[in-house]
Amino acid sequence: MTTYFLSILQGLLVTIGVALGALVVAAILGLAGAAAKLSPYKSLNWLGDIYSTVIRGVPDLVWMLLLYFGGQILVNDIAEALGFRRGPQINPFVAGVLTIGFVYGAYMTETFRGAIMSVPKGQSEAGWAFGMSRFYTFRRMVLPQMVRFALPSFTNNWLVLLKATALVSVIGLADITNLAKQAGAAARGQIPGAAIIFMAFAGVLYLLISSISLYLLRKAERRYSVGVKRGDF
Amino acid sequence: MKHLFLSLSVIAAATLAGCSKTEAPAPAAPAAPEPAAAAPASQWPELRVAIDPTYKPFTYKTEAGEPAGFDVDVAKALCDELKSKCVFVEQAWDGMIPGLQAKKYDAIISSMSITEERKQAVDFTGKYYNTPSCVVVKSALNLGAEAANFKGKKLGVLKASTQEKYAMGELKAAGATVVPYDAQDQVYLDIKSGRLDGTVADVVEVNGGFLSTPDGKDYSCAGGRIPVEFDAKYFGAGAGVAIRKEDTALRDALDAGIKAIRDNGKWKELADKHVPGVDIWGS
Repeated sequence: MTTYFLSILQGLLVTIGVALGALVVAAILGLAGAAAKLSPYKSLNWLGDIYSTVIRGVPDLVWMLLLYFGGQILVNDIAEALGFRRGPQINPFVAGVLTIGFVYGAYMTETFRGAIMSVPKGQSEAGWAFGMSRFYTFRRMVLPQMVRFALPSFTNNWLVLLKATALVSVIGLADITNLAKQAGAAARGQIPGAAIIFMAFAGVLYLLISSISLYLLRKAERRYSVGVKRGDF
Repeated sequence: MKHLFLSLSVIAAATLAGCSKTEAPAPAAPAAPEPAAAAPASQWPELRVAIDPTYKPFTYKTEAGEPAGFDVDVAKALCDELKSKCVFVEQAWDGMIPGLQAKKYDAIISSMSITEERKQAVDFTGKYYNTPSCVVVKSALNLGAEAANFKGKKLGVLKASTQEKYAMGELKAAGATVVPYDAQDQVYLDIKSGRLDGTVADVVEVNGGFLSTPDGKDYSCAGGRIPVEFDAKYFGAGAGVAIRKEDTALRDALDAGIKAIRDNGKWKELADKHVPGVDIWGS
């Protein structure tokens, strides 16, 4: 019984690993997407639009299967065309991180786009008037101010992303959900109600991670709002 | 579309970098692909076998996390016959056949029933076991196995299973309500909670998972099993090893392996160990 709980705890590490990895990918893609959508170039606007529309319009599970299995078939075809017996295997951890990051990058795009637009344009213009470059202005003027606007929606995205990591069990990764399912199946007949017990345990673990991250993100929100009176905009 | 290809190539590139690191469930993939020219000494030095370890007593994981069960032991015996090393790859049921086609593994030995529908996508060896299925309802109802008996009953089935096809094809037509589930365990939970009147399941599965537990004490297989005449139409020829269609040499070798372990008594030893008291070879 305890060994099953311990094995599910090992899944906790995988879940946290996939979630944090995907968050980094999503944040980078989100910033890039927001920059593309807000840029003065029509072709970049168009690219950013396609990214956020296509990704958000297709279920995460479909992307997961498409990129993992479809991607592997593509890799195999290329490898075989080059004369290899079989292509290198896509690592499920890498695939999980990239797929979830890729999908949530589209949501982050909208989060960051909204946050950037919330910073008054005069702030950037003041930077430019001092001769700062576009990037420097963004880093020193816009970024510190947009974080406050981005955080509530960022927090929301993170919580959804965290739970979306349960999808990696489809591609065979031993995350919390997968191990809880297996433990429930293996302990069947030995422990009454095993399936429910282990699933509930998995639920508690997810709740634990989300509670801790909510606490931390709320602290960050307060930190980035020091210059603002509560209720003021 | 551009983005899709971009992401695919990103994945490919990242994989090249990441595949030397072995994650727990992933097979120990060779760091570099083997060139086609170098013919290995044994034809299959390594056989990557997919299992979905949520199907006790056929495929499950022990407390120590080791794959175990009848399927797993049969796989090991077959690997011995082929003089190859078994590498088990865990795969959720939904992605079983896509994973085989994507060459994540070479064979599926996970209680997969041989059906015409699946044969369109993959190839099968002959059966390595065949157990009947039955409709489970309250024993007190005293029903026979005929479909008409289940009019008005609400029955849960495992999605994409042969039992689902039988239930949809025969029981639904006879007036039963059929509800598909993602896992057989969820069906048992809903029988317990009163949402379902029963299930259609494999006899061995339902015995181990439900009928022998306290929750299942008031239930039994109606009429013992589903009438034999439906076997060919819905249940196929039992469980076989699934391989890619082009791997005909592997299929023939595995068929020879199944025959060999049947002949030398290994198969019977494993069947008695995992499923005592039931004939799981079938007719």
